[in-house]
Amino acid sequence: MVVAVGGQKDSPLLIITSMLATTIAVATPLTLGALSGIFCERAGVVNIGIEGMMLGAAFFGWLAAIYMNTIFDVAPLPSLLVGVLFAMLSGGLFALLHAVLSITYKVDQIIGGTVINILAVGITGFLNRQLFFEKGSIFGGQVPHAPGVLPRLQIPFLVDIPVLGRIFDQQPLTIAAILLVIISHYVIFYTPWGLRMRAVGEHPRAADTVGINVSFTRYANVIIGGMLAGLGGAYFTLESVPSFEPLMTNGRGFISLAAMIFGNWTPFGAWAASLVFGAAQALQINLQFYRELIPDQWAILQNSYVVGLAPYILTMLILTGIIGKTTPPAADGIPYEK
Amino acid sequence: MRIRTWIVRIWPLVPILAALLFTIGLLVLFGADPVEVFQAMWQGAFGTQDKTLSVVAFTIPLLLSSLGLLLTFTAGLWNIGIEGQIVMGAVAASWVALFMDATSPVLIAVEVILAMLAGALWAGVAGILKTRGGVHEIFGGLALNSLAIIFTNYLISGPWQPPEGGSFFGTVPFREISQLSRFADSRFAPFSLLVAMVALVMVFVALRGTTWGLKLKALGQNPRSAFLLGVSSERETILAMMFCGALAGLAGAVRVLSWYDNLKQNISGGIGYLALLVVMLAAYRTLWVPLIAFFFSAVLNGAITLQLRTQLHSSLGGILTGVMVLFVLLFGSSKALGIGKSSEDEALEPDTSEIES
Repeated sequence: MVVAVGGQKDSPLLIITSMLATTIAVATPLTLGALSGIFCERAGVVNIGIEGMMLGAAFFGWLAAIYMNTIFDVAPLPSLLVGVLFAMLSGGLFALLHAVLSITYKVDQIIGGTVINILAVGITGFLNRQLFFEKGSIFGGQVPHAPGVLPRLQIPFLVDIPVLGRIFDQQPLTIAAILLVIISHYVIFYTPWGLRMRAVGEHPRAADTVGINVSFTRYANVIIGGMLAGLGGAYFTLESVPSFEPLMTNGRGFISLAAMIFGNWTPFGAWAASLVFGAAQALQINLQFYRELIPDQWAILQNSYVVGLAPYILTMLILTGIIGKTTPPAADGIPYEK
Repeated sequence: MRIRTWIVRIWPLVPILAALLFTIGLLVLFGADPVEVFQAMWQGAFGTQDKTLSVVAFTIPLLLSSLGLLLTFTAGLWNIGIEGQIVMGAVAASWVALFMDATSPVLIAVEVILAMLAGALWAGVAGILKTRGGVHEIFGGLALNSLAIIFTNYLISGPWQPPEGGSFFGTVPFREISQLSRFADSRFAPFSLLVAMVALVMVFVALRGTTWGLKLKALGQNPRSAFLLGVSSERETILAMMFCGALAGLAGAVRVLSWYDNLKQNISGGIGYLALLVVMLAAYRTLWVPLIAFFFSAVLNGAITLQLRTQLHSSLGGILTGVMVLFVLLFGSSKALGIGKSSEDEALEPDTSEIES
């Protein structure tokens, strides 16, 4: 995520718009992760496996894109789109596992999520080595050329605005995430599907009494949640950088859970929270561009580690309720028994 | 009837067999010979004296962390922040090892005490965030984990950087006198085994034979009746967290003073998360914990040599352990293993009714 500053190197306005553009982009996996959490938890299933789902999806999406591109000789763009599809699919599969554990087997949902996180690290680490780096592997011991990243979609007219236009020059998953925030809001609060989802998350027995299939509703929403997390995972390997590294999600799945709570389990709230976390990350990424603007008595803020602490401290302040009060769905985390 | 008791007896073995079958399937898929792989893993874990000692040395911090988690699980707490507590213990021990001048026994005593304090304080923060701030210990813990890791990276790349400006990966090696003395040039320090055994006995006694253990159980099983019986949930929550943190801090000290000889990035190596799995597989039974910790250590250390012998990456060990826990969750009935829950009311509390031998 390098920001092109170009000729007008010192213009603060340009730095600010670049920063805003970066903020919106890096908030993408957080937004999608938070939406994933909302779908699961609104239906009454706690999902701390989002981190693992994202990591798994980042790997399998990337793998699918490379396969399409190098083995089947498909052009880069369709390969990447197939990659996105496989990322969502693998996110959905991990979510299915979580659903089986927590809905059918009524295993403690935190354990289920932890197992998914640990398995995702093991599986992606192992396959990454085995497929790409070992002798005699499919790609003969060397990392193949990745088909690049998803191209930028310059939003017509808006990108032509002087200076501010930079904000509207984004990649597809970022734009998809914003659209999905709007769609999720509509689905959760204005459709029968959303009503059923919220009913089984708040009072499953009452929902059961009026004929809603609690198990099915939970399964469906957890899998939708997993696919959203998968889309968030695709951001890492198909939109941000064209490569996979072990552990590359780097806690972003957990931060998106904090964003979900901060946003009080609503899509727009979660998006706003993701933007706040994204801003902290953008500050860290762009530190080199504004370091000299920081006055000397605030010299400590010139250290990128200190800036990196900000999202976590913010998370805790949010969670303690110092900034606003939040309420989870009433039946969140509780298996339903007839 | 007799067949049923027989099935109940062997049921705990089923998930382990299933995990083995799964792993064999994976190996066959990658064209490896399963017999050769398991032989290589056995050789990697127990082939030479040095390798066996490594398995033991790796077990010790894992065991210490798992013992700490037994306390928090009993109190119904999800101390996922244990990873950060291990890191802070390692940082505190490293601080003493790098900058204090004293004789070897004094240095080691100060290192151990400060490491335990640092771990306990870091856990105490998570405890206070929970009781005063209403922050679920999972989210508080995860944030504190990240803070501890960032703090370590800051120290390594900043104030504690080796003078030659050298590596981004760790501090200079500690002086010999500030490290635990090791057995026969291995990574195993006998003193750490002694400490772990003492901790095992203390945790066992605390949970089985003391009022405090009973209070923790009451808190974990039914917070409402515990409150009615006069158990202070705030006091016991913070105490359980801090004792767990102290043991985790100790584990961190063992990592820097015997497994390694300096403070590195990723110093804990995921031992905290692994300890969560150990305690789950042991189904919260204290005396099973050392056995499972040792088994995990053997699998993971055995997998390291696997790469040299069979060109299979060592993360296979991680898959094997993860799949095993997964199958335990899927197959283990709550009666046989004490893991799965059936009652709606107790859904978020770990089952502690089976804490026995």
